[in-house]
Amino acid sequence: MTRYGGLGRTRPKKLTSKASIPIVREDEIDALEDEIQASLQQIETGVEKAEESEFHLQVAINATAQGKVNNTHIPTPETILSNLRYDELYPPFFSQPATYIRFSSTVEDCCGCPYNMTEEDDAFLKVFNQKRDPADRCSEDAFEATMNFFEETAQTKQPYAAVDNPPVLPFSEMEEAMDAAVEESVKHFAKDLYDHWKSRRSEGGGNHMLQPSLKFETGQDTDDSDPYVCFRRREVRQIRKTRGRDAQSAEKLRRLRKELEDSRQLVALVRQREVARREMLINERLIFLQRAEVKEMKRKLGVKDDDEDLINQKVSMDTGSDNEAQLTPTQPKKKTMDLPPGQRPNAPQLRLPLKPGLQGAEDLQLLEDVQAEKENAIANDIKANIGKHMRWNEGFVDLTRAPLSPSPERPFDTASFRPAFTAQLPTPPSSESSGDVETSLDVTSPLLSKDRLASRAMELHEEPHRLPSFRRRVGRGGRLLIDRRNFAARCKIEMDPIKSDRFKFDQEDSDDEPVYETDKFNIQIMQHRAATWFKAREQNNAVAQAHAQAQQAAQAQARRLQGEQAGNSGSNPGLSSAAASSVPTSSEA
Amino acid sequence: MGGNSGEATGTPDPVEKGYATLNTIRIGVKAMVQKDGELRKAEILSIKQRKDGPSFYVHYVDFNKRLDEWVPAARIDLSQEVEWPQPEKPDKKKSGPANKAPSKNAQKRARADSREVSGTPDALGGKNLNVGKAPRPSKAGGKENREAQTPGDASLFPSEAASAAGDDDVEMADATPAEPKEPKEDEVKTASGEIISREEEIERLRTGGSMTQNPTEIHRVRNLNRLQMGKYDVEPWYFSPYPESFSDVDMVYIDEFCLSYFDNQRAFERHRTKCTLVHPPGNEIYRDDNISFFEVDGRRQRTWCRNLCLLSKLFLDHKTLYYDVDPFLFYCMCTRDETGCHLVGYFSKEKDSAEGYNLACILTLPQYQRHGFGRLLIQFSYELSKREGKLGSPEKPLSDLGLLGYRQYWLETLVRLLLEPGKEAISENELAVATAMTEKDVHETLVVYNMLRYHKGNWVIVLTDYVIDEYNKRLEKAKVKGERKIDPSRLQWKPPVFTASSRTWNW
Repeated sequence: MTRYGGLGRTRPKKLTSKASIPIVREDEIDALEDEIQASLQQIETGVEKAEESEFHLQVAINATAQGKVNNTHIPTPETILSNLRYDELYPPFFSQPATYIRFSSTVEDCCGCPYNMTEEDDAFLKVFNQKRDPADRCSEDAFEATMNFFEETAQTKQPYAAVDNPPVLPFSEMEEAMDAAVEESVKHFAKDLYDHWKSRRSEGGGNHMLQPSLKFETGQDTDDSDPYVCFRRREVRQIRKTRGRDAQSAEKLRRLRKELEDSRQLVALVRQREVARREMLINERLIFLQRAEVKEMKRKLGVKDDDEDLINQKVSMDTGSDNEAQLTPTQPKKKTMDLPPGQRPNAPQLRLPLKPGLQGAEDLQLLEDVQAEKENAIANDIKANIGKHMRWNEGFVDLTRAPLSPSPERPFDTASFRPAFTAQLPTPPSSESSGDVETSLDVTSPLLSKDRLASRAMELHEEPHRLPSFRRRVGRGGRLLIDRRNFAARCKIEMDPIKSDRFKFDQEDSDDEPVYETDKFNIQIMQHRAATWFKAREQNNAVAQAHAQAQQAAQAQARRLQGEQAGNSGSNPGLSSAAASSVPTSSEA
Repeated sequence: MGGNSGEATGTPDPVEKGYATLNTIRIGVKAMVQKDGELRKAEILSIKQRKDGPSFYVHYVDFNKRLDEWVPAARIDLSQEVEWPQPEKPDKKKSGPANKAPSKNAQKRARADSREVSGTPDALGGKNLNVGKAPRPSKAGGKENREAQTPGDASLFPSEAASAAGDDDVEMADATPAEPKEPKEDEVKTASGEIISREEEIERLRTGGSMTQNPTEIHRVRNLNRLQMGKYDVEPWYFSPYPESFSDVDMVYIDEFCLSYFDNQRAFERHRTKCTLVHPPGNEIYRDDNISFFEVDGRRQRTWCRNLCLLSKLFLDHKTLYYDVDPFLFYCMCTRDETGCHLVGYFSKEKDSAEGYNLACILTLPQYQRHGFGRLLIQFSYELSKREGKLGSPEKPLSDLGLLGYRQYWLETLVRLLLEPGKEAISENELAVATAMTEKDVHETLVVYNMLRYHKGNWVIVLTDYVIDEYNKRLEKAKVKGERKIDPSRLQWKPPVFTASSRTWNW
């Protein structure tokens, strides 16, 4: 990087690329001409050494050195406007898109048939077509396609024709190569055009391609020195062979093979399906024709029936859905769905969707019907359970303080349970209904309630049958009781994890021996109960006066009940309510 | 190129001289030939027989090969002594160029020679009169050189040599080529129909063995006669490995969009009815009012890129088509009109250049040269480098026109920076970073234009009056004509990333 400038014999300072160099104008410094040549000599032009001495280049370079850059010119051969019919050959159909062009088709994609006719072909084709029926003439495109087929087949079958010059491929071999992918027109004209192709192929002796092609490497020694051989493949870089790489490659191959196999199978299956479908269509058509015949016959013979034989009866399907309806009456959806694979009838074409006109009346189901059916099922179930309870208790005198079954005079009346939600809400309910909800949920802040509502709505969505509901009834002594069902989910939300842990193992005991809570709540409840009884006794004395009080107390209790329940076992809501007020838990259907 | 190395090396070997007749002249002889009213020393590269006597393909010593031409016997001055080609003396030949050339080159030449020696005997059984000559090793050396690193392309050819002085250039062009036109006319005539006989002659030579044409000499003779492309008839400059039979026809037709080649007009016209391509088959990455740039991947568009390389080889002497186009990206500049995007020029770029080259090959098609397109191509290559965050330089060797084009661009780019108001000092590194040029190119440009001087014990960058004048002239012209330049904000491009396996060859 160092150079020697002028200025006597002193060695100039070394110039580094990071050094800041002052910029000056020519008139600001003294001219020192002798250094020019010295420094210029050291700069390589980057031009091939042998060509640096070329006359025009030297003129240009020297002009630069003398400070006259641009008045040089290197002569080049001329180009002139062509007399080609440019506008015909290049039609003006290009319209530039607004966005930058993105394009990935190759030349081969864009050029159509690679064979192009020459004048010779023109002459031949003209004569050829003159002899033929006008309807059966060979178009230029068909001609080119056929010639191209010959060329490609020859190239495939005789890849080294250019080197070892074998005899021109006979027509019999051409015929062999005609598979499904070859166009009909090619097959049609092939025989007639073959001789022309053959004569052109062997023009001037030998067997050469009709369209000149580049010379690629042939693996012979002469390749290297032949200037016409171009675009050689590069030597593959040797990759170090390791066990890991071997395994990797093997794995790759295996995967590739598997993927290919999969796709092959897929295609085979698709084919199978399509074949079956065609078969089905044929059968259907046959059926239709035969029915038409039957119809004719019926008309002719005057047979009058319900014409059931003229429409599809869906034999297999009807029986299937009947069975289903009996087995699972609550799942009417199944009817419209496809049958599971196992139940598929043997002849798949018979259960393909029928014409909507035929099917509609039979398959149409009303939502109300479905819902009514569902509700009936639930009601029946509940009635059956109640009956069971009553049968259990038959002949027994109920001496328990907290009878498990409802008293016979007050049978479980499902209608008196009001559902907390009348509809399943995928989104939080509107403000009107949310007001109701809040009272039942005992929430503190509206924000919180919203969250709860959301989560609740989701739970409900998951378990549509477990609608929470409650009812009010008046118990002994005029107590007001509130029964609830299906509040488990809410308790889950509000439960303190520590407290729930405490009751983790309480469930089983509760069956055998109703152990009431011995914690502080119990004492309070006892006190409360005592107070209530006391009041109730007084009530007997002064009924009118006590009535209002009792109501207040009951309400207070109800509130407490809810607060208590929050603290109590959520997994067993029945327990807490039993402990609090001996409210019977309704058996869950 | 033939005689040049001989000249350059100071002709270490004694040259055998003597008088020749038309009958004794053979390939390799250097004789004086009439050219533009003066006698120039020229080397005979090929001979063919015509009805009216022999015709000679001559290369004028110390002129670019693109001026090589066919001349009738009458233009050869046989009243002077000619230089006879040297008999085969391989050892001496090798030492000749090696003396001067850097050791690296010498090594490669040695390699090239050994290869060629092994290749020749199969190719031709005849005498190898030309084999040992100086030019061939150096040529082959060039090829080897590229093969080692960037096989696809080697030569540079920014079309517009002295772009800044468009007007002056044109005048110059008009002034000087006035005479060359005639010989060219001549050449077309002689060339047509002649080449067939050359082929015949080679055939004859093979069997008869009277004279030898070494296959390595074939590529020194232009093989196509004329080219029809788009709206223009173009004269090829150099050999290009189009199919061999193409040298038999007067005109080769190139489809302007898919760059396919045809030796038959009817076939070409048929092709045009089918071809649907209207722009280079890649993604447009730049568009302004005048031009578009398309990025074409050599691997994905193998046919198109091969066609492009064949075409550009006609105008790039040092480009090699030895290897395939896979490891290159091609940035193609187009002008647009209602028929499509017409290729004006292109440059190729390695997907991954070990040497940090930002450009491998650059060409403005001859029909579009001297309009400032070359400078746009160069500028674009540096814009890409800026986007990559790299400093770049074109691959060597440069062609003569390439060198002038690059120097012009470098100078103007640097001067524009140096003239920025308030700039009092700057380092070469800062200049390099601002321009995406390599520090070496920055430094050498400053030196070449005598702007870096040692003054009173300190280095200074001198903005010479001449440089400033030139710069202002250019600015003025840009005002009048509207300057064409690349607007980086219109470049929609991210440096493409390639895995090692997709860069190297695999099918």
